[in-house]
Amino acid sequence: MNISSNKTLNIGWLYPQLMNIYGDRGNIITLQKRCEWRGIKAKVLRLDVGFSTKDLEKCDLLIMGGAQDKQQEKVAEDLFKKRNVLKKIIEKGIPGLYICGAYQFLGNYYKEANGHVIEGLEIFNIHTENPGENKKRLIGNISLESSTISYRLLGFENHGGRTYLGNGIKPFGKVLKGFGNNGEDETEGAIYKNSFGTYLHGPILPKNPKLADYLIEKALEIKYKKKITLEILDYSLEEKARMAIAKRLQVTI
Amino acid sequence: MNNFSIFLGKSISYISKHLNLGHGSTWPGHIALKLNSDFITDLFKNSQTKIIFITGTNGKTTTAKMLETILKIAGKKVFSNISGANLLNGIASSLITNCSISGEINADFAIFEVDENTLPLITKNIKPDFIIALNLFRDQLDRYGELDSIAKKWQITYKDLNHTTFILNADDPKIAYLGNGNKNAYYFGLSDKTLETKEKQHASDSMFCPRCGENLYFDYFYFSHLGKWSCQNCNLTRPKLDLDSFSFYPISGTYSKYDTLAAALTAKKLGIPNAIIINALKKFKPAFGRQEKLVVKDKKIQLFLSKNPASFNESLKTINEEKPKNLLIALNDRIPDGTDVSWIWDIDFENFISTDTKLFLSGDRVYDLALRIKYAGISREKYKTFENLEDAIHAGIEATNKMNTFYILPTYSAMLETRKILTGKKIL
Repeated sequence: MNISSNKTLNIGWLYPQLMNIYGDRGNIITLQKRCEWRGIKAKVLRLDVGFSTKDLEKCDLLIMGGAQDKQQEKVAEDLFKKRNVLKKIIEKGIPGLYICGAYQFLGNYYKEANGHVIEGLEIFNIHTENPGENKKRLIGNISLESSTISYRLLGFENHGGRTYLGNGIKPFGKVLKGFGNNGEDETEGAIYKNSFGTYLHGPILPKNPKLADYLIEKALEIKYKKKITLEILDYSLEEKARMAIAKRLQVTI
Repeated sequence: MNNFSIFLGKSISYISKHLNLGHGSTWPGHIALKLNSDFITDLFKNSQTKIIFITGTNGKTTTAKMLETILKIAGKKVFSNISGANLLNGIASSLITNCSISGEINADFAIFEVDENTLPLITKNIKPDFIIALNLFRDQLDRYGELDSIAKKWQITYKDLNHTTFILNADDPKIAYLGNGNKNAYYFGLSDKTLETKEKQHASDSMFCPRCGENLYFDYFYFSHLGKWSCQNCNLTRPKLDLDSFSFYPISGTYSKYDTLAAALTAKKLGIPNAIIINALKKFKPAFGRQEKLVVKDKKIQLFLSKNPASFNESLKTINEEKPKNLLIALNDRIPDGTDVSWIWDIDFENFISTDTKLFLSGDRVYDLALRIKYAGISREKYKTFENLEDAIHAGIEATNKMNTFYILPTYSAMLETRKILTGKKIL
């Protein structure tokens, strides 16, 4: 058993200024605090438009959220320039959590309702299609069986785009209640190496502490090249919050 | 057809009021519009009533009530739609309540709070004489999604309103831009040095030039993304202020200053003398839930309705200045509150809760709220969760002595429930 204190964790927060409209900074806060409570020094690197790839390479864990269209365009422009570095980092197995717009952007392309196709980073073998204003957006509380850890995840989804998984890419979870990637195939999100893409807001990490801890452990293991076991923190408040939503969705957790 | 709707509508209102079911506020209008989609246009066709719309994310109700108070003290006959009933059916309902049985409107002014997403639709039905636009903040994400698309829709709407006078918040870039090139636009904003801050609040939106999309430069901020802004790329700047201060502010908090300026500037443009405006504001009683003061069992209570990160931050900041001993926060996630509570992570609890304050947490999503509080670094013994709102309220009242005020910070539906518990009456 390795104790986790005296360790540091560099968390790269991609585009905090532009991609932060959805309470997603709660994911950063959760990671920071869960490290702090265990004596792990967490440093958050804010990587805004124009950031240096040297800083990106310093990161042990990457987090990126969603945004409004205009902001996403600016991000796309910037991230395209750094695509190869990001791809190398993801291929290397550096863990990351990519939410909503970020998740879509990691894919091959995004097809808008009018047929216009927006190129993605082509790191995840997925693509997204938006059927347009006339089709209902996929909105609501959602529950999934995680593909990675033995845990049921709870969150809130709100997306117009329908995402479809290609070959060689696993879903992030199996939908128990809610829509997931496209409301058809019961998959939610995607996993590639140690990178997780998902539509779950909430934000996802506070109410799914086991996922937060999984990401921290994974990042530390890769960094320090040995198995890390994190001290268990009190889950009682999280459990009460989870039970309340699970009851509403009529799922067991 | 309209006469029938009016009769039916008035009956529904009467019955609801007398059975204490609330005003049944949107049913009459809903039915009238179903029977005749031009109901609103028809009723205004032959009237001389001046129509004022107030829109924006935060402050509509307070600004509407301030303006109504000013106009009434000035001797004018005014009616308005009931706060919260700010969609088409709410406006139609208020017409039914305030017109004669034959459909005549005898008021000098009609003030309508209009939900920011419905504004484009409503202006198809009515061309107002004045539009007051207060601000655009992120509000209920699951209902409206994107600020940019709201702002875009407003821009298109505004171009069709040639005879409307616009009263705009210059400190909010998206709002100020609505008046660009329009000679009928007047601006209010702040220029109080003591309120300036260089720090941007986290939950800030609208940091990009509404004209060219580049990053805006701010000399300073007053509140969230409101402040003295300029674009270094296309040279768009904050318009010159027609009103930047007033001699009397009836409610505390930076935010409320904007509401006061909006109401005062509009009143001035309507020719109301300054002395009357001041006199009216001194008599102003806050709208329900908006810094409303109540006394229950000899204990003082103050309600601060908060619906999104910007207004929540402002409420917390204002309350914290009073060094509160007991504060109840109630988070619901029903339709009017927004069913997605992710936004509570954009509230800066870390900055605005002192170690001397005991927190009482409640609402449908009490445990999500408690999680947020835990992650804000507040120690466990400083907050208590209550699944039942009434229990939380009673506990807070008990804990508060007669010298102090018990502060309650609820989301919309929790505010209605709180008022019902405290006063024994439903209002909406």
